[in-house]
Amino acid sequence: MSRQVTIALPKGRLQDAALAVFARAGVTVSPEELDSRRLWVDDTSGRFRFVLVKPSDVPTYVEYGTADVGVCGGDVLAESGADVHAPVDLRVGRCRLVLAGRQGEGARLDARATARVATKYPRVATRWFHARGVPVEVVYLSGSVELAPVLGLADHIVDVVETGRTLVDNGLEVLETLERCSARLVVNRAAWQLEGPALRALVEALRLARPEEVVA
Amino acid sequence: MGAPLARVPAGVQYVFGAEARLRRAVERRVLEVFGGWSYEEVLLPTFDYAELFEGGLGQGRARTYRFTDHQGELLALRPELTTLVARTVATRLEDEPLPLRLAYSGEVFRFDPPRRGRHAEFHQVGLEHLGTDRLEADLEVLLVCAEALRALGVEGARLVLGHVGFLGGIVDALDLPRDAREDLRERLDRRDPDAVAEALRGRADPERAAELARLTTLTGKADVLDAALALVKNPVSRAAALELHRVLATARAAGHDALEVDLGGVAGFDYYTGMTFQVFVPGLASALGGGGRYDRLMAQFGRDLPAVGFSLCLDWLADVVARAGGAARLAPAPAAEALAGDDLAALFRRAAALRAEGRRVRIDHAARGAAG
Repeated sequence: MSRQVTIALPKGRLQDAALAVFARAGVTVSPEELDSRRLWVDDTSGRFRFVLVKPSDVPTYVEYGTADVGVCGGDVLAESGADVHAPVDLRVGRCRLVLAGRQGEGARLDARATARVATKYPRVATRWFHARGVPVEVVYLSGSVELAPVLGLADHIVDVVETGRTLVDNGLEVLETLERCSARLVVNRAAWQLEGPALRALVEALRLARPEEVVA
Repeated sequence: MGAPLARVPAGVQYVFGAEARLRRAVERRVLEVFGGWSYEEVLLPTFDYAELFEGGLGQGRARTYRFTDHQGELLALRPELTTLVARTVATRLEDEPLPLRLAYSGEVFRFDPPRRGRHAEFHQVGLEHLGTDRLEADLEVLLVCAEALRALGVEGARLVLGHVGFLGGIVDALDLPRDAREDLRERLDRRDPDAVAEALRGRADPERAAELARLTTLTGKADVLDAALALVKNPVSRAAALELHRVLATARAAGHDALEVDLGGVAGFDYYTGMTFQVFVPGLASALGGGGRYDRLMAQFGRDLPAVGFSLCLDWLADVVARAGGAARLAPAPAAEALAGDDLAALFRRAAALRAEGRRVRIDHAARGAAG
């Protein structure tokens, strides 16, 4: 009899989509439990406990082993640099991490000697520019990133988009897709070894329960 | 205005009281076990030439603290101890009969942002078995490690075996450029078979790629090795799987069931050449330690000797022992005899007499007369 497995779920955008995949994989949560304002809920079998955390905190909970597994966007995982396994692409919550700039100004990264980029993803943005040998000054913002080029705080932004509508509405256009993202299952390294059978079964069930691959 | 003198740099720690006592007790107990298997302690310098350590640490995984001496030579604080042992054996212990069994205990320094309770300075206890490539040596170090954990009362530990040759054989057969190798290594580490299959698309036939991708996510007992042997044809991977089979079978016959196999493991240090292992214990979010075979490191120092060894993080080991309630058993708070009195000569004579009997004393000043 193995111990209860703790799963960190991101509150908000991905929560319902992730719970739906878990439900198809046989890990279900009663609606009454979910409606309560508690930040943790057990599944109906009692073998799993979901903890609801801020999306960008999921990799931290899992890396530190407070949660054995978690669900987070590929964008969040890439930015966190967390030292975890990521065995399953859950194929929900699809989005893109893009580089965008003002419409009509084209893909000019060299408008200044050093590109100035506003983003919530400093690590991802820095890595992308460095790989291209472009000097970059990353301006970290925690929200309303689209405003930065409009107001002249930065020339470009690196941000996550689903449809791109927000960009267009703010006079911006996508210059390049850095990464296609979707929700990932992440697993703590020690849990992967110590709770092997339980976690491998969960991973297999999720692999079967996720939506079909979309051919791009 | 300067920063407050009270501040402490990230990644260093001060240990005191019961915690310090426990850490020393755990260190002693581990070294006793190592000694019980004839591993002789070696005391090593805290720093050496920086270039010495470059063959050891994996790329970008850990960086060393570097500084220069008065002649401008680049030095580094030791990021691990294996390299220092290996170099010493190559250059100073040439006349000693082989194999050599050496143990060490000391702080190592890594220039990494502190995460998960991993500090920039932490204490390692470990051992090296040098001068033989025989499987007995691999088995011996595994079983010594298991005994050390048992001696400390650590329950539920898993020693997870891997082998550099297993994935090495597959990857070499694919003839990948350097970047693609690194990328594949990163995908394997994710344990995502889809991502691995994708990386192999166009480089291996699809069925084969999918099988290999699957295989690298397998962890378990001997059945994993049987599955591996059924799949891979290249001689390097097969030899690796067979070697692990023998280790597992012999260990089990010797009464050790805590061993598992994880063929997807990508070894941490670049110097490993054969069997590797990591130690996991319940309640700890990452590996307590690990080790493996490094048959080519010594050749760098002019003496071509095979070797195998491991180290454990003493800081975490002490935490695990403390959480399991082992502190009272291993490092109980010592009782002392309180002594007081106005006649100082008599007081210290009495103290010395008790000390001669090996008793612990405490001179109690407060209880002494006001005249003092």
